[in-house]
Amino acid sequence: MAGFDYKQAEEIRHAFQRYQVRYLFIGKSGAILLGYPDTTQDADLFVEKSPANSERIVQALRDLGFGLTDSQTQEVLRGKDFVQLKNGPFDLDLVFAPDGIERFEDAWQRRVEVQGFSVCDIDDIVRSKQATNRQKDRESLPRLLKFREWLKKQH
Amino acid sequence: MAFEVDPRTEAQWIEEFEAAARRPLEQRIKYAFIHTYKPVLDDEPFRSFDTMEEYRKWCEENLPEWLGYGRV
Repeated sequence: MAGFDYKQAEEIRHAFQRYQVRYLFIGKSGAILLGYPDTTQDADLFVEKSPANSERIVQALRDLGFGLTDSQTQEVLRGKDFVQLKNGPFDLDLVFAPDGIERFEDAWQRRVEVQGFSVCDIDDIVRSKQATNRQKDRESLPRLLKFREWLKKQH
Repeated sequence: MAFEVDPRTEAQWIEEFEAAARRPLEQRIKYAFIHTYKPVLDDEPFRSFDTMEEYRKWCEENLPEWLGYGRV
């Protein structure tokens, strides 16, 4: 599996726009779109948990080349909190209920558009990283917090 | 959550933020997404979890500790 590239990011943007999927880049991939210099392995998308949005996600994923079986499709449609896909052209994590964010709608209202990509606000990205309380997030938080401070000074 | 950061480290981070801001998005993405094989995590084409708690627990029980997915 090769790394995720700009062309694939554009493909996500196009496919998700085509089906009107409600999504936000979150996690480190979201921070990177906001300008954070770091490395990551996959794209994390915070997606609205609703039957209509899940239907649209499945259609968009098929267009992108993810080989979803019938049972995997049902898993997405059933409204799981977290789905990890490694059966497509790139690795993709679908997060329906990220730690630290109560409602998709709230994050949607606070979103930032970066060249057509819908991205969580930096405060939501930090909030969710803090809430996971994982070792790897705890180690990277000081730099991310400093980036948030720097980013806010730019606006 | 308060962190103490060495002033030299902080200055270096700021330089990195400023350098990244000068790069176009396409280049930032090119530098940022690097695939490295992660044992266990990368061995299944599809996984799903009913709750985030279930996912976090699965990570703690199945992934090597050094990957850092365990909660503190």
